[in-house]
Amino acid sequence: MKTLIINGSPKGRNGNTEVIIEKFIGSAKNLYQVCYVANEDPLKLAEYMKRFDAVIIVMPLYIHAMPGIMMKLIECMERTIDDGKSMGFIVQSGFRESEHSKYLKRYLTALAHKLNYTYIGTVVRGGSAGICMMPEKMNKKLFKQLQNLGEHFRLTRTFHGDIVEELAKPIRLSKGMSMLLYFLFKLGISDSIFWNGMLKKNNALDRKFDRPFA
Amino acid sequence: MESNLFIKEFDGFDIPCQYMFDLRKTKVKDCVGCWSCWIKTPGRCINTDLDEFYKAYLKADKVIILSKVNQRFVSGNLKTLFDRMIPLFMPDITFKHGEAMHLPRYRKYPDVEIYYQGDFDSLDSKEIYENYLHRTFAQFYSKCEVVKPINQSSMQEISG
Repeated sequence: MKTLIINGSPKGRNGNTEVIIEKFIGSAKNLYQVCYVANEDPLKLAEYMKRFDAVIIVMPLYIHAMPGIMMKLIECMERTIDDGKSMGFIVQSGFRESEHSKYLKRYLTALAHKLNYTYIGTVVRGGSAGICMMPEKMNKKLFKQLQNLGEHFRLTRTFHGDIVEELAKPIRLSKGMSMLLYFLFKLGISDSIFWNGMLKKNNALDRKFDRPFA
Repeated sequence: MESNLFIKEFDGFDIPCQYMFDLRKTKVKDCVGCWSCWIKTPGRCINTDLDEFYKAYLKADKVIILSKVNQRFVSGNLKTLFDRMIPLFMPDITFKHGEAMHLPRYRKYPDVEIYYQGDFDSLDSKEIYENYLHRTFAQFYSKCEVVKPINQSSMQEISG
């Protein structure tokens, strides 16, 4: 029986979520079917989900929770009467501390139970905003971890606790670290360099601080 | 006079306000995660369906949200509206508060009160919903002290 993977990103095939799914599946393409929330009717997809014994939902974190289109799918999900079905989640976020996903993780844990699925777990990964833009080499460690996560899942239908723990690091910033980052920010050494570069490329740097709706 | 904005998903608690946004009648386009509002047209979404809403939101002193709990969370429609608030904030991240937070784009944001309708099957799920909303409006730089179930006495509180 195949496992259903749901890509919960509004960007569908063109984002970090898709890269994570690819690495998780690895060479075992025949064992999975991937569906895209961005391309499906939520009611039909929720219905289709019922055909599978195992479902893994992969999504980006949008402001401390799932993207709107993902919630529209969750609204359509019904409690299963079959015992023995299982559900797991992978959440990737831009902010580097995975703790930002804690609200969503708690919600997804409760959701799986409510729907009468065995809860496989929620993998959370911070600092993922640029995965699909970065050279392969920079993601080497992450990709290896995701491959291992996938291989372990194929063999055991569970998420390996150690890999989940590794992927979640850092969970939060130490006081020293956040002070250092704040200090560097004041000096102009921060992610702003990245944003300004993108703005410049789009000839929009001079409009960066626009307030069109004030 | 205080300027109010109402965002609602159920009836029965309307008070006079400057701007009413009924989520059951308005289909908000979903955020597609394109980052245009950050790196191409700063502050503006590729979709213009919320332009009037953004103006009213930023102008308001107080925003009242009547949220219909669905699958023990905010509805997909309300979540989409929250996703679409991101043009009102900067892409840049500050660590001033000990954790990552996007910087504000505007000088002032409204206070927010949230009243919800719907049941939770456990204290845990109620807490998840309420904590999530508090955290969201902390990121949105709004004072949000009220997140509570709606009841008979809410009408007085809302208009007060």
